[in-house]
Amino acid sequence: MGGQLGETVNQIAQDFNASQDDYTLIPVYKGSYEETLTSGIAAFRAGEQPNIMQVYDAGAAMMIASGGAVLPVADLFAQNGEEINVEDYIPGVRYFYADSNAKMIGMPFNSSTPIMYFNKDALDAAEVEAPKTWEEFQNVTAPALKDAGYVPLSQSALPWIFTENFMSRHNLPFATNNNGYDGFDTKILINNDALKGHFKAVAQWYEDGHFGWYGTGWSDNARPFEEGKVAMWLGSSGSFGGLLQKVDFPFSATMLPYWEGVTKEPTQTFIGGAALFAMSGHSAEEDQATAAFFRYLTSPEVQYFWHKATGYVPITEAAYELAQKDGHYERFPAAEVGVQQLSLPGSDNTKGYRLGFYVQIRDVMNREFSRILTGETDVDSAFEAIETEANQLMARFAKTQG
Amino acid sequence: MKRAGFSNPWLPVALLLPQLSIIAIFFYWPAGWAIHSSFFLQDPFGFGSSFVGLDNYTDLFGAVEYRKVAGFTVIFTLLVTFLSLAIALLLAVKADKVIRGARSYRTLLMWVYAIAPPVAGFLGIMFFQQGNGPITQFFGFFGWEFMLGVNYTDTATAMVIVSVWKQIPVNFIFFLSGLQSIPKSVQEAAVIDNNSGTSRFWDITFPLLAPTAFFLLIINITYALFDTFGVVDTLVKGEPGNNPLTLVYKVYVDGFRGNDLGGSSAQSVILMVLVLILTVFQFRLIERRIHYT
Amino acid sequence: MAEISQTIATPAAPPRRRFRWGRVFDHAVLILGSAFMLMPVLLALTTMSFSDVQIERQGIIFGLSDQMGANFTKAMTEKSGFTEAITGTRMLMNSFILGIGFALGKIVISMMAAYAIVYFRLRFATFAFWIIFTTLLLPLEVRILPSYEVVQGMGLTNTYTGLIVPLIASATGTFFFRQFFRSVPEEMIEAARIDGAGPVKFFIDILVPLSRTMIAAIFIIMFVFGWNQYLWPTLITTEEGLFTLVRGIKQIIQVFEGATIPEYGKGLALAVIAMIPPVAIVVFFQNWFVKGLVESEK
Repeated sequence: MGGQLGETVNQIAQDFNASQDDYTLIPVYKGSYEETLTSGIAAFRAGEQPNIMQVYDAGAAMMIASGGAVLPVADLFAQNGEEINVEDYIPGVRYFYADSNAKMIGMPFNSSTPIMYFNKDALDAAEVEAPKTWEEFQNVTAPALKDAGYVPLSQSALPWIFTENFMSRHNLPFATNNNGYDGFDTKILINNDALKGHFKAVAQWYEDGHFGWYGTGWSDNARPFEEGKVAMWLGSSGSFGGLLQKVDFPFSATMLPYWEGVTKEPTQTFIGGAALFAMSGHSAEEDQATAAFFRYLTSPEVQYFWHKATGYVPITEAAYELAQKDGHYERFPAAEVGVQQLSLPGSDNTKGYRLGFYVQIRDVMNREFSRILTGETDVDSAFEAIETEANQLMARFAKTQG
Repeated sequence: MKRAGFSNPWLPVALLLPQLSIIAIFFYWPAGWAIHSSFFLQDPFGFGSSFVGLDNYTDLFGAVEYRKVAGFTVIFTLLVTFLSLAIALLLAVKADKVIRGARSYRTLLMWVYAIAPPVAGFLGIMFFQQGNGPITQFFGFFGWEFMLGVNYTDTATAMVIVSVWKQIPVNFIFFLSGLQSIPKSVQEAAVIDNNSGTSRFWDITFPLLAPTAFFLLIINITYALFDTFGVVDTLVKGEPGNNPLTLVYKVYVDGFRGNDLGGSSAQSVILMVLVLILTVFQFRLIERRIHYT
Repeated sequence: MAEISQTIATPAAPPRRRFRWGRVFDHAVLILGSAFMLMPVLLALTTMSFSDVQIERQGIIFGLSDQMGANFTKAMTEKSGFTEAITGTRMLMNSFILGIGFALGKIVISMMAAYAIVYFRLRFATFAFWIIFTTLLLPLEVRILPSYEVVQGMGLTNTYTGLIVPLIASATGTFFFRQFFRSVPEEMIEAARIDGAGPVKFFIDILVPLSRTMIAAIFIIMFVFGWNQYLWPTLITTEEGLFTLVRGIKQIIQVFEGATIPEYGKGLALAVIAMIPPVAIVVFFQNWFVKGLVESEK
C-alpha cells in the first residue's frame, strides 16, 4: 500500500485518532501482501503480533485455519456487546472472510473486484461499445479495435481474473468441500471444459493480436493501457483512483464479461484485495480499541471517503447509499461498477474460496498460464498440471494443521 | 603446524569464544533447526504440525518443477561460470600484455566488483525492459523480439548477462595477479622454444594459471548458486511466474512467500549438503596449495 | 609479454607492423571490455539527468539534461515510504552502519579466533578448526529461513544487532587471518618470548601492527560485502527507518510498479548513491584491495 493508497490509509488513521481521545492507531507498512503476511506470522510466533493485520485474499485460508491466532471480528464485537449483521454488508463481501457458518472472521477492508476499464477514445475510434460478453468481444470488439490500431485487451492477474472470478462469474464451483470452506481434504475443480475453453480462446486471441500479455507482474500489463496502446484493461476496481491521476484520456469501466455459451445468468464475483484481522493475545482493553477502530472504519462516512479516494468498494450498504445520494456515481459512473458487480445475484459458488497454500497455487497457475501463452504447453496439459500440483499443495497444507 | 606458540590454557578459549558462539547461535542452531523442521509440516503460526518423515524430500524429488529449477540452476551456473571466467581470462591476458594504460584498464575492469547484485539487476531491468530497453532494441535490430518476463529463455539470457557482468571483475583480478606472478624467466624460455603466441599461452601460461582457475571455479560456482539471488529477484520483479528460478530463490519463495516451512527447510538441507561437498573439494585444493607454497 | 617477444624477435627480422597490429588488437579488446563494464552505469547516470516523464517515455537515454541535481536532491532528502520515515540520507547512514559494523565486527572476532588457532597449543584445535571452517562456503542465503526464525525468536528483528551479527557467522575472515599469521616469521614470536612478552602484549604490540595492511585490505572487502547485502536486510528490517540503500532497491522497484507516476529519476539516483561509496573505496584503495582479495582467498 504505497503511494496514494498509503496516504489515504494514513489519513484514515489520523482522523480516527482525532475523532476520540482513548486510543491511538499507528499504521505500519511491511511491504507487499506476501511480506506483510510473513512478517506478521513471525511477529505472532515471537509474541509481538500487532493488534490488527492486513491480509490479502490468498492468505485468508492460512489465517482462518490457524484458529488460535485470530480473534474473529464477530467475537470481537460480541465481547463489546455488539452484533454483526451480515445483511449490513454488500452481498459480495459478506462471506469471503467468514467461516463455513457465515461467522465473520476478518473485517473486509480494501475490497475490490475485477472489472473492465476501457479507453473511450479507442472505443470511439473503432466505433464499438464495451463488450458485455466474451462472444461479443471475440467477434465484434476485438477485431474492430485491432483495425483501429489498438491492442484490444490486456489483464493484470490471470489467476485472479481469468480463473477465480471466471468461476464465480459463471456460477461454477471452484473447489470441492463448498469451495474449501468445509474441510481441508479439498480438491480444486478448475480442470473443466468451460475454463479450458476460455483459455483456448485467450490463447487464440493472443495469437491473433486481440489480447496483449506482458508478463506476470501487475503493472507490466497495466502500463500499456495507461500509455494508450491497449484499449481495454481488466484490473481491480481499486485501480480507479490511481488511473484518474495517471491517464490523460477519458476512460470508464464496465463489468467483467462472461461467456453466453456457459451461462445466460452471470453471477457476482469474489472480492479481492484484503481484510483486517484482529490478532489474538492482546488485553481486553486493546481489543476494545480494535473494535472501536473497526466500528469507525465501517461507518458510512469513512467508507465513502475511502471509496471516493481509492476506488475500493464501500463494504456496507449504508456507505453505498451515501455514495449514491451524494451523486458520486453521476460524476464517476465507473466507480460504481465494482459495487454493482458484487451486488449481483450470488450462490454458494460465489461466496469465496478457502484453499491452503493458495499463494503457491496462484504461482503454479501463473506459470502454466504463461506457458500456454508462450506456446510451451497446451491448455489441456496445463490444466492437468495445475490440478495435480494444486491438490498436492492442499494435501500438504492439510498436514500442517494435523 | 609449525608454531611453538603459547601454552596459556584459558586465553585461547576466551579468544575463540566470540567466534564460536556466533557460529553456534547463527550457524549451527539454524542448520539444526532446518534439518529438524524438514521432517515436519507445520502451521506457520505454530499451532499444528505433523511429522512426515522424508515426505518433504520425496515430494521435492518427485516434483517436475523442482527438477526443472535444479536443471536451470545447473545450466545457469555453468554458463555464468564459463562465460565470466573466459571473458575475464581474455581481458587479464591482454591487460598483462599492455604497458601503456595498464593501471587504467585494471581500474576500469575491476570496479564493478563493488556493485551490489540487486543494483546490477535493477540496471538490468532498465536495459532489458520490453519496448524501450537499449539492449532489447539492439536485439530487435537482429529480429530477436526480446521479452523480459514473458519468454523464459529471454529472461534467462538477461539473468546470465547481468550475472556475468557482475562477476568478471573478481575473476579478472585473480587471473591478472596470477599472470603477474609467473616468473619472467619462464616466459622468456617459452619465447625461445615456441614462436606462436597462442600455443605458448596454452602450453606454458595456462597450466601455470590452472591452480588459480580451479580455485576460481569454486568461487564462481558458489557465486552463481547463491550470490545471484539479488539479480534474480530484481529481474523477475518478485513474481516467479514462468520465469527461470534458481534453487536458492526457490528456498526463499516457498519459505517466505508461501510459508511452507517444511518444504523450504528440506530445500535448505539439500543445498547445505551440496555446499558441504564443494567445501570439502575446496579444502583439498587449498591444503595442497598451501603445502606447495 | 609483447615487449619481451618484441625485443627478442627483432634481431632476426623486424616485423614491426605485425606487432603493432597485435598491440592495437590488445587495446581494442581492453577498451571493449572496459566499455562493457562501464556503459551500463554511465548510461544510468546520464538518464538520471532527465525528468520522470522523459524517462517513462524513453527508458535509458543517451545524452544529458538538467534534472541531475534535482533528482539527486530528491533522492537524498525527500521523505518516502509509507511512514514517511526514510530519506536517501538515512538509508546511506544505515548502509554505512551495516558496512562498517560488519567489517569491524568481523575483523575483531576473526583476528582473535585466528590468533588462538595459530599461536596456541589447543587441545581441541582440530575440532575448533573444523567447527569454524565448515561455515566457509555456506552463505546465509542457504539457511535463510531457519536463521530468520532464530533471530526473530531472539527478538532481534528490526535491530542493528539482528542485521549485522548473523552475517558475521562465517569463517572467511578467520581463515584469512589464519593464513596471514602462519606466514609471519617464526623469529617474531621467539624474539617476543626472549623479551618476556606475554600473549596479549605480543598480539597488540607486534601482530596487530604487522597486520595493518592486511586489516585494511580485509576491511575493504568486508565493507563492500556488508554494504551490498540484500536478502538478509530485506527480511530482517521491515521498519523503514532501518532500510539500507541496497534494501531500498526493492522499494525503488516498487516505486516503478507503484500506483502513481513512477519516480524514475529518484530511483536511478538512489541506485547510483548505493554504488558510490563501495566503488570509491575499491577504486581508491585498489592496491590494498587487490592484495587482500588475492591473499585472503588463497
